[in-house]
Amino acid sequence: MSPSDASRPVRRLPWQVAAWAWLAFCLVVAVHQFSFWRSTHFDTDVMALLPQDEQAPEVGRATRQMADQITRQVVVTIGAPDWASAQKAAVAWEESVAAAHAPLKASAMAGDDRLRDTLAFYAPYRDRLLTPAQRAQLEHAAPGTLVQGALAALAQPGGGLRLADWNADPLALWPQWWLARAGDTRARPRDGRLALDDGGLEWIVLLRETTGPAFSLSGDATVSETLARAQAAATRSVPDAKVLSGGVPLFAEHAASRAKLEVNTIGWGSVAGVLALVFLAFRSLWPRLLMTVSLLAGVAMALSVTSWVFGHVHLLTTVFGASLVGCAEDYGLYYFASRQGAPQAPPLKLMATLLPGLALALLTSVLGYVALGLPPFPGLRQMALFSVVGILGAFVTTVVWFPWVDRGAVRATRFSTWIVDGYARLPRFRADRKALAVHVLLLVACAVGVRQLKVNDDLRQLQSSPAALIEAQREIGRLLGLASPSQFFVVRGTSDDDVLGREEALKARLDARVADGELAGYRAVSDWVPSLARQAADAALTKRVEDGVIAGVDHVLGETQERAAFDSAPLTLARWLASPVSASARALWIGDVPRHDDGTAFASVVMLRGVRDLAALPDIAKSADGLPGVRWVDQVQSVSALLGRYRHTMGVLLAGGHVAVLLALAWRYGRRAWRAWMPTALATLGTLALLGLCGQPLQLFNVLALALLLGIGIDYGIFLLEREDAGAGSAWLSVVLGAASTWLSFGLLALSSTPALHSFGLTLLFGILIVAVTTPLYRPRTPSLPETP
Amino acid sequence: MSRFVRAAALALVAFAGMASFAATPASAPAVSALAGDAARLVRERLKLWPALKGEFEQTKTLKGFRNALVSKGEFLVARGQGVWWHTREPFESTLVVTKTRLFTRNPDGSTSNLADAQAEPGVKQVNELIFSLLAADLDALADTFTIAAQPVSTAGWSLVLTPRDANLAKFLVRATLAGERDVQSVRIEEARGDTTLIRFSHQQPAAALAADEAARFQ
Repeated sequence: MSPSDASRPVRRLPWQVAAWAWLAFCLVVAVHQFSFWRSTHFDTDVMALLPQDEQAPEVGRATRQMADQITRQVVVTIGAPDWASAQKAAVAWEESVAAAHAPLKASAMAGDDRLRDTLAFYAPYRDRLLTPAQRAQLEHAAPGTLVQGALAALAQPGGGLRLADWNADPLALWPQWWLARAGDTRARPRDGRLALDDGGLEWIVLLRETTGPAFSLSGDATVSETLARAQAAATRSVPDAKVLSGGVPLFAEHAASRAKLEVNTIGWGSVAGVLALVFLAFRSLWPRLLMTVSLLAGVAMALSVTSWVFGHVHLLTTVFGASLVGCAEDYGLYYFASRQGAPQAPPLKLMATLLPGLALALLTSVLGYVALGLPPFPGLRQMALFSVVGILGAFVTTVVWFPWVDRGAVRATRFSTWIVDGYARLPRFRADRKALAVHVLLLVACAVGVRQLKVNDDLRQLQSSPAALIEAQREIGRLLGLASPSQFFVVRGTSDDDVLGREEALKARLDARVADGELAGYRAVSDWVPSLARQAADAALTKRVEDGVIAGVDHVLGETQERAAFDSAPLTLARWLASPVSASARALWIGDVPRHDDGTAFASVVMLRGVRDLAALPDIAKSADGLPGVRWVDQVQSVSALLGRYRHTMGVLLAGGHVAVLLALAWRYGRRAWRAWMPTALATLGTLALLGLCGQPLQLFNVLALALLLGIGIDYGIFLLEREDAGAGSAWLSVVLGAASTWLSFGLLALSSTPALHSFGLTLLFGILIVAVTTPLYRPRTPSLPETP
Repeated sequence: MSRFVRAAALALVAFAGMASFAATPASAPAVSALAGDAARLVRERLKLWPALKGEFEQTKTLKGFRNALVSKGEFLVARGQGVWWHTREPFESTLVVTKTRLFTRNPDGSTSNLADAQAEPGVKQVNELIFSLLAADLDALADTFTIAAQPVSTAGWSLVLTPRDANLAKFLVRATLAGERDVQSVRIEEARGDTTLIRFSHQQPAAALAADEAARFQ
């Protein structure tokens, strides 16, 4: 900027108006924040981050429907050598939970009328509902044999387990069909409890639901602690008892409480460090306080605007958004360091002087974030919007408020003087052979490191739950014979009935796997509502066979029974869905989905139960081969693939962001622009090389951190270029303080045991260090400063 | 003895009808004091043997049938092993209940499972119920039934078992047992309106099973 700019008096009125207007806006945001934090919970559905046009909507819906069922459910199984002690342990457990007043309630159990209503619902369609084994038996058995069997059953006690009048079910097919349906779980009611026996132990299954928000981020392990106490109470009461606790709330709580612990230790550690630095530099905590205000304003605005635009805020967005701290602080530091360098300048005038540089720093950061939002990934767009708004909020707060609030002098301290004066003595590259040789060496070293870099997007990398919890969950799944929620088939069809028919084709193949023992079974809507064709065929079959059996029995016993009448209309899916009897299996039905070119517009899920060996899954997946509309979905695999795609896209955008930033710099600095850009570019490359040399895998979170590095690193270059003729030392002070505080805040994340945070932190640890060290090396030679010897 | 099989069958049906996590709300736990003096009286009067065999005559009155269905045959009850129920008239058939299975024995000696604890977990607990009936374990039975016991004349007694479980009660109204030293008759009344009356005769206790008798439970 020219000296005439600096000498012109600053008009106060626009600044005053801006400051008051900004205060009004902040109050509006504050009000919105109040309701936001009271009502909101964060979106944690990873699939919501997928581009809508690429993601099969039925898969996303299926996942959500299944997740909705279990996000609140806590499952506890208590095993004991005999039923009486299992009951005793369960009572002790229940008493302990009841006394704890935890946000848990017993899951709704079916009332007394449930069984009667369910039987009454299906009874008119009894003739249309057969198991595969029954169908085969009726098709092949000789009529005489069936009559003999019916007569024997009449003579026997028990009469063949009948659920209907004899003339409505003479072969007792109905109870067997129900037995097959009951196979969905191994637990059975016993003495008013759910029970099963396994491995020589009698198990009681206790179901609870959390009553608080589905994903509480408070970090309090209320549920886990209550369950741990209840477990202790149960084992005190029955020392042999074995208690397994599982469920999504336990995992969520564990993750939240660990995150809280880490945020506390790491967060307070870095706050202490940053406070010490700022105090050393300015001998006052006032600057620190103001910077915190600007930061809070930025984050609050980012949350409000994001939830206003998108309707919700994704958890990953906030993780990424937390990185705003590093960027947003630099504006305040730059201002205070400059104040210190020019103590006689009025704050408002100084701010006016600094504004172009600050604005450019903002512009480059915004450019980087906007590049993030270009591809059609809703998640990236949200992160981009969040970051742009957040950084803008912090920027405006700094620019319009700081000059008014900051009235006192910012005195130089020994520490700040040391840094400011030391700037001139720092080495710098000159255009000579030595510099060229150093760069070639550096590039070779980087190339070697980058070649070592391995890419790994496996979702399980991000899993940081304790092994004991995972093991208990797996054991509960095995005990109950639960269906796996992350691997399933999606079946599409042109109509409801087409879907059911295609399910049946798939099930015929799965039946072979069940016979081989690879699978315990499956769950499908067509188990409960067969396709119309299947219903018609089975109705005809049972009518033919049962008419014959009743005639035969009448003949032998001298009776005149006639077969009971059944509903002449089939059981329709619509009727089933509308009835409470479908509750347990309704989540399997996805319903209408966007039409495909093949005309399919309806979908459902077929789940697998009791997969014997996970390694056999790819083989089981082949059951879908050649079946129209049937598709295998492996969530673990597809989320890993999603992370990989994000990593790749972000990588491309990162390169694009560098180009955009370089152009923006060239617009203001012309041919000197590379000086501000070079340190960040070098740091990006160097960080990748170091990660490679450390054996750290490259994944999404490293790339996110590199995007942040671009936003932060360029600022340092700008501040030094901006003040190269006056106050370069002060600019350097702000760079040192900014880098140190960012380094403390994020570098400490490298200590985190949460894998995602660890890689994020490690990347910034390397990157910020390289930028801070190299930025002065690329400063231009200026006449006002003595040449470095 | 057929009451055991009958109860098993009914209970099994009740359990089979429940899909997924359907269940009844927790009912009151065992009331061991309920049987009281009358139960003690039954225990004193009823003799329990390691094995018992005899003849039976069963009269079933079924809804829709004009005539009662009468069947006759022989039975064998072995404590800890199970029940063997051989119908001779009007049709030859054999039904066997063990701890883990409920099966029929075909004329050629082969067996066909009606229920298997491996396939249907509910079978085991139903069969446990049968075994507590066999052992006249009134405390254990009190978990499942409300029991009313009363003396009949000088040596006799009767027991009325009413299901506690509401779902079971939808199938079984009550079972009434009467006897002296042995159980002499069992009457089962179903919610559907069917009733079964079984009379036992020629009962012979034994200390142990013969080899061919033990093979019946395999």
